[in-house]
Amino acid sequence: MEEVLNRFLEITADPYNSIAQYKEKTGQKVIGCFPMWIPEEIIHAAKALPVVMWRSNEPVTLGHVHLPPYNCAISRSIVDDALKGKLDFMDGMIFFRECLISEEVPFILEKNIKLSYIDFLYFPPLYLDDVGRDFMLGELEIFKKGIEKLTGKDISDAALLESIEIYNENRSLLRELYEVRKKTPGILKGRDILNIVWSGMLMPKEEHNSLLRDLLEEIRNSKVTQQVDERRKVILTGCLCQTPQVEILDLIENLGMTIIDDDLFTGSRYFISDLEVNGNPLKSMVDRYFKRPPICPTKADFETHLGDYLADMAKKVEADGVIYFLTKMCPPQLTYYPDVKRRLAKRGVPEILIEIEHELISLEGTRTRLEAFKETIGGV
Amino acid sequence: MWKSEHKLNRLESTRLIGPMVDNHWAQLREAKSKGEKIAWASGPSFMYPYAIGMKCHFMAGYASYCAGRHAADRILEIAEADGELRDTCSYHRLHMGMSAAVREGHEVREDVILPMPDLMISGRFCTEQSHYNESLYRRHGIRHVGIEHPSPRKEEDFPRIEAYLVRQINEILIPTLEDVCGKPFDYEKFSEIMWVLKKACLVRNECWEFFKKKPLPWTLWDYAVSLAPVIYLMGKPETVPYYEKVRDELAERVEKNIPAIGPDGEKYRIMWDGWIPWAFLSRFLGKLLSRGAAPVCGRYPWEFFPNPEFIDPEIDPIRNFVQVWYSGMRLFYHDSPYGAEEIFSEMIEDYSIDGIIMFSSKTCRLWNRGQLDLLSIMEKKYGIPSIIIEGDMIDSTMISDAQIDTRLEALFEMIDGRRKRSNHSR
Ligand code: SF4
Ligand code: SF4
Repeated sequence: MEEVLNRFLEITADPYNSIAQYKEKTGQKVIGCFPMWIPEEIIHAAKALPVVMWRSNEPVTLGHVHLPPYNCAISRSIVDDALKGKLDFMDGMIFFRECLISEEVPFILEKNIKLSYIDFLYFPPLYLDDVGRDFMLGELEIFKKGIEKLTGKDISDAALLESIEIYNENRSLLRELYEVRKKTPGILKGRDILNIVWSGMLMPKEEHNSLLRDLLEEIRNSKVTQQVDERRKVILTGCLCQTPQVEILDLIENLGMTIIDDDLFTGSRYFISDLEVNGNPLKSMVDRYFKRPPICPTKADFETHLGDYLADMAKKVEADGVIYFLTKMCPPQLTYYPDVKRRLAKRGVPEILIEIEHELISLEGTRTRLEAFKETIGGV
Repeated sequence: MWKSEHKLNRLESTRLIGPMVDNHWAQLREAKSKGEKIAWASGPSFMYPYAIGMKCHFMAGYASYCAGRHAADRILEIAEADGELRDTCSYHRLHMGMSAAVREGHEVREDVILPMPDLMISGRFCTEQSHYNESLYRRHGIRHVGIEHPSPRKEEDFPRIEAYLVRQINEILIPTLEDVCGKPFDYEKFSEIMWVLKKACLVRNECWEFFKKKPLPWTLWDYAVSLAPVIYLMGKPETVPYYEKVRDELAERVEKNIPAIGPDGEKYRIMWDGWIPWAFLSRFLGKLLSRGAAPVCGRYPWEFFPNPEFIDPEIDPIRNFVQVWYSGMRLFYHDSPYGAEEIFSEMIEDYSIDGIIMFSSKTCRLWNRGQLDLLSIMEKKYGIPSIIIEGDMIDSTMISDAQIDTRLEALFEMIDGRRKRSNHSR
């Protein structure tokens, strides 16, 4: 299993290099997508590689010249990477309006780096019935045309359907992996799961699918079966638009907790729902965008409650508590948190808030909070 | 501390605004007892409930009203005690604090109490404008409706965004209002509001012309406290005479040569970009005044119908109103970093600006977007020095005098240096 896990890790250990190498090998164009809700299938169908833009692990330097410290980490990190030339291998970038900050990043990039393609879509963040759906469909058509122009390839419905199938297989394999984790907690470490999901955002889905199939096969063949795990089970949620630091995941586990499921951005949010095709593939993408779960704090969703979703999730997997990873300075998460906290308390699910910043200055504060949390949920 | 030989000559006419504003909020507090329905609105959405006869709050208007009366800190404390996180938009926290106070009976001053609404409307041009509705809905189950006002990035974005907004208003907002009020939407009333607004803005624009004068007969702060007639007091008949009085007083000042900053007028003309610091107007003005500097213009206060000539509700008032905001006045474009350069340039040239202060709110990103790049673009284009002051519009815990004083000092030094260099080269 170690070997296949290392192949996922090869991608995430140095995404810049692995993507650039892939591009050199295949001659495919690379399009950065921010954040994850861009229908990558459209890019894939044009035989280009969509990658979900990520937070680097390097300290931000140039990013500070363009963004204040009270912006979220991912925005400073993307700008920093771009200005340092680390994203030069990208042929284009596509953004959509999910918050004010996501509107700001493309502006700064346009002013400071040269890209042959940079676009910005207006996806409706409100559940506006036909009005929102029709508008979004128009946006996707514009997006499709832009990608066709960039790649010089027409995107047929047949090509889209083929891409959708590959993406759905990816989602289904990841869900299968998560089922394995639920049945055999601890079989994979939190950092392994993170690398597996994250690598899928950075590499061609066909290859990711193949790696996932290998991994699942190895797990099936290994004699690991349902184990009795005495450790406290926790669910992770949040960390919008970026990966949490693996050190925090290690800390949770080293303190004697096991991560049984998650609702993370680099986690189940990415693959929980399939793209169901009903006729027009672009319309089906609109349907997926409005589908729940995940319950996304960036969308003005009045029908659902993230607190209930997490409480139900916890009940289903018999989790002892929820850890809310708050992306520091992320308004959608900041404003939702008090309600999640209240609802979880009402449903009797313990919860703790952990702030995620770009630089991991000290783990000590986080450790203290997590230790206290573990005591609350009855861990020894 | 700076010693000031400069003195502020306040306008007499702006004193008339207080009772108008107080009356608006008093009417809102009394609405329930009169059987009237109440809405809370954010973004440009309050005129729709006005037209159907509801009393309506305006998110930013309430925050400025509350802060201007130095009542915001107490409500923010209630919000924090109720679990709101400090990095959250302070306007959001203020409303959460107020709703907690009303529901749980915390003591707050009578004159800033906000009754709970029958409907919340989010005119979402900032994404957070719906987050506070979402939170209130989750906590109190208050009915809501949202309409999205995206900022265009390119010229070709305008038509499709306009069409999208028109559909949202016609197909979502108006039916919801009709349902809540149990009567049809009053298009005539809506047009009437727009006609009055147009008149008020035309006179207000005459007042703006006085910002071009040297010395200035009024400062941006005088205008900031006079904003309500073109925002949430829009459509009220008294709004036109208000600006007429201001205009007449300004004309008289020019005639008698009375500058806003005595004895000899302003030494530095400043563009103040970003939010107006509502709770700290006199604190900031004191700092500027002590150096003879006057705030003159800024994107935010210029956001309210700078081109009233586009207002023409004759044929299709809703479509016209949407066009006014977008392709007409280009407001949501100027708000965004993409269009900011266009309006910055206009202001610098029209109002002979010496330096720019970007007031950067730590909890609101609206005006901050692209600020550092924008300032360096303007510095390159016009050679105008600029500084960033970090703070908040209403939360006093986020304002640091030491930081402000140091940065202001730097700004004036840079302007002086620039003047010396240009005198030298002449
Ligand atoms: S982390 Fe939050 S604030 Fe930052 S881009 Fe994502 S949604 Fe916006
Ligand atoms: S973030 Fe700024 S623009 Fe948005 S609601 Fe808050 S104060 Fe208003």
